[in-house]
Amino acid sequence: MIFELQVVFGLIALAGALSAALLKDPYAKLIALGILVSGALPFIVDRGYLDVAIVASLIAPISTIFVLMAVRRAET
Amino acid sequence: MIALYVVAAIAVFAAARAILERNTGRRFPYANVLNFAVAGSLVLLLDHPITLIAAAAYFVGSTLEANAIASTYAGGMKR
Amino acid sequence: MNTAFILGFVILALGVLSVAFVRPKTYVARLINLEIPAWGLLLIMLAYDEALALMTFVAVTAISTFVIVRLMEWRDASC
Repeated sequence: MIFELQVVFGLIALAGALSAALLKDPYAKLIALGILVSGALPFIVDRGYLDVAIVASLIAPISTIFVLMAVRRAET
Repeated sequence: MIALYVVAAIAVFAAARAILERNTGRRFPYANVLNFAVAGSLVLLLDHPITLIAAAAYFVGSTLEANAIASTYAGGMKR
Repeated sequence: MNTAFILGFVILALGVLSVAFVRPKTYVARLINLEIPAWGLLLIMLAYDEALALMTFVAVTAISTFVIVRLMEWRDASC
C-alpha cells in the first residue's frame, strides 16, 4: 500500500480508538468502535489475508449486537 | 489511482465529522458514509478477485452494525 | 517496522489503559473498552504471518464478548 494511505487509515484507526476510550455515551462509544474497525480492515486486506478480512468483517457486527443487548438492558 | 485518493479523502472527512459531532443522533449518517468509503477503498486497494467478496462482506456487516445501533438508539422495537 | 506493527502497539497500550481506568465506572463502558485492545492485538498478530491464529483470535473474541454479556444479565440486571 502507498505510504500516505497507510498514514490515513492509521489516523482513522487511532482516532477511533481514542474517541472510544474517551467518550461517555454508550452509543457514541459503539460508533467509535465501528470507526476503529473500519480503520483496521484495510491493513488486513493489504497484507493479503482476505479470508481473515471476510471473517472479521462478518463477526464484528455480531459482537456489536451482543454489546447492544447489554446497553439496552442497562438503560431501562 | 486517483479514485483511491478521493475515497480516502471522503473517509477522513466522514471520520472527523463522526467523531467531532456533539449530538449523538448526528453521528449516524457520517458513520454510514465512512463505512461506504472504506468499502470502496477495499475494492481499489488490491487486484485480486476475492477482494470483491471481502468488500461485499464488509459492506453488509458494517451496514447491519450501523443500522442496529441507530435502531436501538431510536427506541428499538416497541413491545 | 511496518505501520501496522507500531499502530497495533499504540492501540493495545491505549486500550489497556482505558480498560484499567474506565471513566463512567459501569460494566457496559468497561465491556466496550475491552474491544479496543483486541483490535490492537489483531494488528500486532498481522505483522507475524499466521493466518490461522488471526482467524481463531477473531472468533474467540466474539465468543468471549457473548459469554460476558450473558454473565452480566445473569448476575443481575443492574449493569
